[in-house]
Amino acid sequence: MEQIVFGIGITALTGALATVAGSAEDTESNIGSQGDPNSQVQLAPQMGFLHRIFNKAVAGEPPAYGLWCALGAGLAWAFMAMQINAILAIVLGCVLAVFVQGVYATTAYLGRTASLAKFGQPVYVDIIKSMTTVTMAHAFIAIFCTVALCQLINGALGHPFPLPLLALIWGIALGAAGSATGNPYYGKERQYQNQKFGAGVPISASGNIVRYAEAGERNSIDNGFFTHKIGGSASGLCFGLIVFLELWRTILFERIYAGWGAIAVGVLIILIFTVIDRYIEVWARKNYGPYTAVKEAEA
Amino acid sequence: MSAVAAKPTAGGAMNPTAMAVGVVMLIVILGACWYVSPTLGLTALIGIIIGGVLIGFGTHFVPVGGAPAAMGQAPGIATGVAMLAAGAGLAGLFGGAWAAEQGMVIAVVTGGIGGGMMMAITCMMVNFVYVFGMGIPAASGKVLNDPITGDSQAEYKSQGTEGHGLPFVSFVGGVIGGILGGAGGTLIYLELLSLYEATFPTLMSATTAQIMPVAVAVAGMFAVAMFLVNAVLTAYNITGTIEGPHDPKFKRWPRAIVASAVASALCGFVAILIVAM
Repeated sequence: MEQIVFGIGITALTGALATVAGSAEDTESNIGSQGDPNSQVQLAPQMGFLHRIFNKAVAGEPPAYGLWCALGAGLAWAFMAMQINAILAIVLGCVLAVFVQGVYATTAYLGRTASLAKFGQPVYVDIIKSMTTVTMAHAFIAIFCTVALCQLINGALGHPFPLPLLALIWGIALGAAGSATGNPYYGKERQYQNQKFGAGVPISASGNIVRYAEAGERNSIDNGFFTHKIGGSASGLCFGLIVFLELWRTILFERIYAGWGAIAVGVLIILIFTVIDRYIEVWARKNYGPYTAVKEAEA
Repeated sequence: MSAVAAKPTAGGAMNPTAMAVGVVMLIVILGACWYVSPTLGLTALIGIIIGGVLIGFGTHFVPVGGAPAAMGQAPGIATGVAMLAAGAGLAGLFGGAWAAEQGMVIAVVTGGIGGGMMMAITCMMVNFVYVFGMGIPAASGKVLNDPITGDSQAEYKSQGTEGHGLPFVSFVGGVIGGILGGAGGTLIYLELLSLYEATFPTLMSATTAQIMPVAVAVAGMFAVAMFLVNAVLTAYNITGTIEGPHDPKFKRWPRAIVASAVASALCGFVAILIVAM
């Protein structure tokens, strides 16, 4: 019984860490324009819209976070092997991983922006100075939380995978959840804030991103501030639910019916989310209504 | 042939010669494996090929819209095919590896359910952000009616877009893709783990307990790598984006099966060679 209570406590803690990680990951990628909306940041100067948005698409978010989390975990593992306290080892490992992220961010901004020189897009040195450290700070939170939850899964819950491999897996999952949930909010709702609310961006408007703020030109820190409220929170909730429910069903139900208990609970969770998704879909159709009149012939 | 003269549907055409070459390559690799390790190695390789095919086939179900989906210009999840499939499948592998002690069937099913759960939560949250964050209902650009619910789609597409969000059929496709990917990744891991458990003690002159951490780590690394190989291959097959099982691109799955089988066989053969040679 004590073991189950201990497992539930660790599960709750990992869920909380995952929620913070997901939120920080999405905000970091939005400040850096790393996800799919980066295509518009890269496209805008080619359409004649010069901007001061940070542009650091190092890679897709999942492989990038897979690399950074595995790097942080690998270094933390090495420090722990040197008999350094686990918390200090994780902090040191994540700090070193964040320096790698900072190097990637800087070279990505310089390389990608320099490639737009023929369209007149300048490389702003003050952007590198002010934005890179902000993305690094958010990346540290995301990487630290992910490596810490992997350490808990490995050390306290006894998962067989070594720490760096766990961090690679959960780093990729973190990037996948964060980019899937957070990208539309940054891409549609923030970059195209001048378009109609409640509709997708017409393809003809591609590249015409919003470049001006209340005072002066818009910068990426404004974007992080804006998207964090919904996109970041939703990404955190998404990754937190994934980690928490996966661990929760295993810790509580894996001993029931020789493993089938955890499987049955997993199926039940999938069905519950299916019902919620269908409810959201129908709610939107009823409350928002169609954009055009229903065509009887097509129906 | 010029770009103008090329058939618009050429990307989806099946090439029987290439498929035949793929099957021959598969047989050659299986033969080579039988030569170096006729019992343990061959059994593991067959399991790896089945796992790889499950991943390749499962990735076709995952609704991915790429960059246009991030602007609400196209339906699907706004990220890359390989990345999302890997995220879901590896989350499944995590659960499957944990359940490895409870037997192969339990572990593979647990891995599948883990992948399905990841996709169910992610797909629900995608629709949550579209509906409550952006005020946009889900609409498919490829079908007039949702094949499962029968909901009409065309009038829910906003002007100048191909659709947005995840209609119910795409949600179901995502969950199926996660289940197949998670099960396939776990199967590859278990096959390699059982092979390494049997061979490492002799190879390293150590007890089974001593080699377990190495065996788990090496099998896990190979499983992650083979997952990415199969997911990326499939991403090329569907040329970046797909709405789910109702998308016409879904019909391209047979050639991805052959490609995944050959790639998994080759990668699996290398993973077997490190203990068989």
